[in-house]
Amino acid sequence: MPYLGSEDVVKELKKALCNPHIQADRLRYRNVIQRVIRYMTQGLDMSGVFMEMVKASATVDIVQKKLVYLYMCTYAPLKPDLALLAINTLCKDCSDPNPMVRGLALRSMCSLRMPGVQEYIQQPILNGLRDKASYVRRVAVLGCAKMHNLHGDSEVDGALVNELYSLLRDQDPIVVVNCLRSLEEILKQEGGIVINKPIAHHLLNRMSKLDQWGQAEVLNFLLRYQPRSEEELFDILNLLDSFLKSGSPGVVMGATKLFLILAKKFPHVQTDVLVRVKGPLLAACSSESRELCFVALCHVRQILHSLPGHFSSHYKKFFCSYSEPHYIKLQKVEVLCELVNDENVQQVLEELRGYCTDVSADFAQAAIFAIGSIARTYTDQCVQILTELLGLRQEHITTVVVQTFRDLVWLCPQCTEAVCQALPGCEENIQDSEGKQALIWLLGVHGERIPNAPYVLEDFVENVKSETFPAVKMELLTALLRLFLSRPAECQDMLGRLLYYCIEEEKDMAVRDRGLFYYRLLLVGIDEVKRILCSPKSDPTLGLLEDPAERPVNSWASDFNTLVPVYGKSRWATISKCHGAERCGPELPKTSSFAASGPLIPEENKERVQEVPDSGTLMLVPNLQLTADYFEKTWLSLKVAHQQVLPWQGEFHPDTLQMALQVVNIQTIAMSRAGARPWKAYLSAQDDTGCLFLTELLWKPENSEMQISVKQNETRTETLKSFISVLETVIGTIEEIKS
Amino acid sequence: MIGGLFIYNHKGEVLISRVYRDDIGSQAADSAVFSSSGPFLRERLGGSVRRNAVDAFRVNVIHARQQVRSPVTNIARTSFFHVKRSNIWLAAVTKQNVNAAMVFEFLYKMCDVMAAYFGKISEENIKNNFVLIYELLDEILDFGYPQNSETGALKTFITQQGIKSQTKEEQSQITSQVTGQIGWRREGIKYRRNELFLDVLESVNLLMSPQGQVLSAHVSGRVVMKSYLSGMPECKFGMNDKIVIEKQGKGTADETSKSGKQSIAIDDCTFHQCVRLSKFDSERSISFIPPDGEFELMRYRTTKDIILPFRVIPLVREVGRTKLEVKVVIKSNFKPSLLAQKIEVRIPTPLNTSGVQVICMKGKAKYKASENAIVWKIKRMAGMKESQISAEIELLPTNDKKKWARPPISMNFEVPFAPSGLKVRYLKVFEPKLNYSDHDVIKWVRYIGRSGIYETRC
Repeated sequence: MPYLGSEDVVKELKKALCNPHIQADRLRYRNVIQRVIRYMTQGLDMSGVFMEMVKASATVDIVQKKLVYLYMCTYAPLKPDLALLAINTLCKDCSDPNPMVRGLALRSMCSLRMPGVQEYIQQPILNGLRDKASYVRRVAVLGCAKMHNLHGDSEVDGALVNELYSLLRDQDPIVVVNCLRSLEEILKQEGGIVINKPIAHHLLNRMSKLDQWGQAEVLNFLLRYQPRSEEELFDILNLLDSFLKSGSPGVVMGATKLFLILAKKFPHVQTDVLVRVKGPLLAACSSESRELCFVALCHVRQILHSLPGHFSSHYKKFFCSYSEPHYIKLQKVEVLCELVNDENVQQVLEELRGYCTDVSADFAQAAIFAIGSIARTYTDQCVQILTELLGLRQEHITTVVVQTFRDLVWLCPQCTEAVCQALPGCEENIQDSEGKQALIWLLGVHGERIPNAPYVLEDFVENVKSETFPAVKMELLTALLRLFLSRPAECQDMLGRLLYYCIEEEKDMAVRDRGLFYYRLLLVGIDEVKRILCSPKSDPTLGLLEDPAERPVNSWASDFNTLVPVYGKSRWATISKCHGAERCGPELPKTSSFAASGPLIPEENKERVQEVPDSGTLMLVPNLQLTADYFEKTWLSLKVAHQQVLPWQGEFHPDTLQMALQVVNIQTIAMSRAGARPWKAYLSAQDDTGCLFLTELLWKPENSEMQISVKQNETRTETLKSFISVLETVIGTIEEIKS
Repeated sequence: MIGGLFIYNHKGEVLISRVYRDDIGSQAADSAVFSSSGPFLRERLGGSVRRNAVDAFRVNVIHARQQVRSPVTNIARTSFFHVKRSNIWLAAVTKQNVNAAMVFEFLYKMCDVMAAYFGKISEENIKNNFVLIYELLDEILDFGYPQNSETGALKTFITQQGIKSQTKEEQSQITSQVTGQIGWRREGIKYRRNELFLDVLESVNLLMSPQGQVLSAHVSGRVVMKSYLSGMPECKFGMNDKIVIEKQGKGTADETSKSGKQSIAIDDCTFHQCVRLSKFDSERSISFIPPDGEFELMRYRTTKDIILPFRVIPLVREVGRTKLEVKVVIKSNFKPSLLAQKIEVRIPTPLNTSGVQVICMKGKAKYKASENAIVWKIKRMAGMKESQISAEIELLPTNDKKKWARPPISMNFEVPFAPSGLKVRYLKVFEPKLNYSDHDVIKWVRYIGRSGIYETRC
């Protein structure tokens, strides 16, 4: 693209624009202007001909006018003084008898993004608001928002706001919707437009007159209206009923969200609504417009999180078709593994098995992982399918299957036997790091049940010099040491060789350290090795914890029909957090590495607190000032509300702890010197309702534990619980950092 | 709200760029594109900071190596929503947390509007009509908010084509149209011949297992109306909807038994804005004042009792490691008096195919090495007929252990009936103010059933 070197072109166009012969011929003149716009689109800097373009705006030809105005809106910020010349023409056009010209001029004038234009546009906008043509009113109403944006932080003009509020009663539906949008932007600082009862009811009555964009927008605004009574609530829901069946998926989703939010105290209404939008959602999922289909699938997944059985009878709708794009297939596979139940599991697995041999490796692997996650409930069938897949001897399949096995064995110990039988032979088909790690882990932990485990590991030891991934070497060390414990005779020799290699020849520091560590551990004695390395081999409870057990509808209702289901909650959190960070700017403390990760803690905690019903969120007040005397007095007068012991190994640094506690607004009143034993600290915090938490930390190095005693000046168990969980998180994080 | 709208060609060159809000662009500046180029180059670019958003999309999506992961992409905290039409990319850009469905609907609408003005959306058409597109973008979106998007209503605002300044009459038309209560139709339309065309367009989708078991099947249909009617006519549309037929049939028992088979169950349907939904809900009658010209009256979906126009019976036999025998039988399953057209059967072949011999009873079949498929084309085929193709595929011996995934056999066709069984029973027109009656209107009804994704696994 010709980004640079636009001088010649500009010169030539300038000449053409000044040529009186061309100016006289309307078609030729317009052609030159079109060329200017074309270059502008391509990214050439066309600001050089600004003067000539301003001259061209004084014309009766409306097409030419439009083109010139488009040009001016683009370059006005670069040439503010020249742009002022154009304002004269624009002002004149604002009083043209033709409403189209009036509207066009007003819109262009408001879109000139340059300082100082406000004083010129104010009067035309006010005139435009009272224009008899609704076309002009639409433009003028949005013009108010543009004007406000130009001002930036300036004061809100009360008279203008009132005028806009009254225009909500305008005849033209688009004017009404534009009023809402405009007010929302102008009043952003004060929390946006206020939807009171008269406005809400007025909007509800106008709904059917609006086009789809307007309907979606109004539905969004109605979210903030709180009906006074149950009766009113159900009246509103009845009125809006038909929009659940609207032709536009956007309106359907908007209406669904409104229903879910308004009926947040009536779970049966919510369920009912979700049942009724099933049809439209399914239609969107099988529509030919793929992007819409993708969005609908994201929302289906969201609903499935709360109502797992919701789409089970329609499982066939989520079978992938060969020609569908990748992103839809991946979503469908995710949906399929969420809606599995006793009746359809056979068919769904059959279908997923077909995908595992797909040409696209990505999709095949996604399907295998999906089978793996279904295996947590329907273990036998899935393990059988996965075992069969190993028979294909395909690299990309085998590696994923082995990874799935590793996760599965951890969660469902009952399938260990079957997995162990399937494993021999697959080492030939694994080349990548992830797959190798998984295989080595399985061989190490369950080696006593796999007859040829030592020989497979021996191959790895033999080739360790040419191994490129350090993670694989680490895994190999651990696995071999574990296997050595259960089958010492077969492993002793090669363990020696591996340790020798790792300590003497390995260049990667982490691997060498690990080797040395195991070597020293072996010196201490075999019992010590066993105590440290033989952890439990599975943990079925982990699966239960991980499972999104029955998330209530209300937990995601406010995210419905936004970008959150599309991106996923965690991804959206990072995106929007960056927004926040931008706003706060450099004020955030970034003194130590811990402080940077600090803000995570209160947020995680907030989330957890929200899940506990009726607990009320815990908000600790920052900068609490408490004198030591007052603390002592209160401490002595109160009883211990909660006492708990946390494990704490090894040394620790009081400074880090103090800093970390400060991040979550817990102040340190006093603490012992570093290195004192036993070590003590006194902490205080206060939440926004005035409840005081006083804490004593007592660390006794001899039994490596930390005793926490908390006192509270008001007895409130819920907040106490959240406070303790904050404390635990902080201490846990420090422990992690240390190790 | 939409911050900006860009149109790219397949190379990633910007054909159209329209920025509505300042917030996009500036924050994309630190994105991948300019991280290396430094402030100097940025200055040279004429200070157009917002171009960065444009470039970010090209680098991250259009030129991306791997397959597109999602139609919504987030680059430097800016969301890009894109749709692709032939080799043209349309991208809407925003920084806000918007309704994704709405943005895509808007992009579709934009495509429809453009198609209504200049036909197919192709690079050439866009380049030739770029002034018109800018005009459209100006009218459809203001400050990033969708405004009027009905093609019919837009026609009065768009000046492209013809330089002539407007006459007095046209000016007054704008005012009345702009203030009128009905946004989709202007007043004072006159035709010498009152005519209307009704097209029932259906696409039938099928996924069938090799054993001939229907895994999923649905019909998505549209009723498209083209009306050339004078005045403000009131129309009423009737079809063989099961609920209506049953309601009417209650009185006469014999009628229910007669019509029971002919009525269809509609899973869900949606209507153009002009249809009075309240009336549909209470009486299930479809009445409306139509926009002038072409519009989509309704859209519906059925899943029960679908007439599958064709049945594909595949038979694949592997003879040793280097030969494959394929036999495919297609059976047409509709009235013998009707003719299906443009039939195309696509039989995938393995990647290591070295040669193919095809024998077919009807039509023409060809092995297309570039597409890895045997394409069998039949111009016409009557109902209740059967035809078959057999092919011998020679394979190159490979040491690739990867098994051939056997993609499904897909089919394309066009039939002159509605596979859902939908029938138009009546379309009545009332115009009380003008002196023409329902009988004077010339009505045309046409049914077209096309294949959507029509696949049989083998």
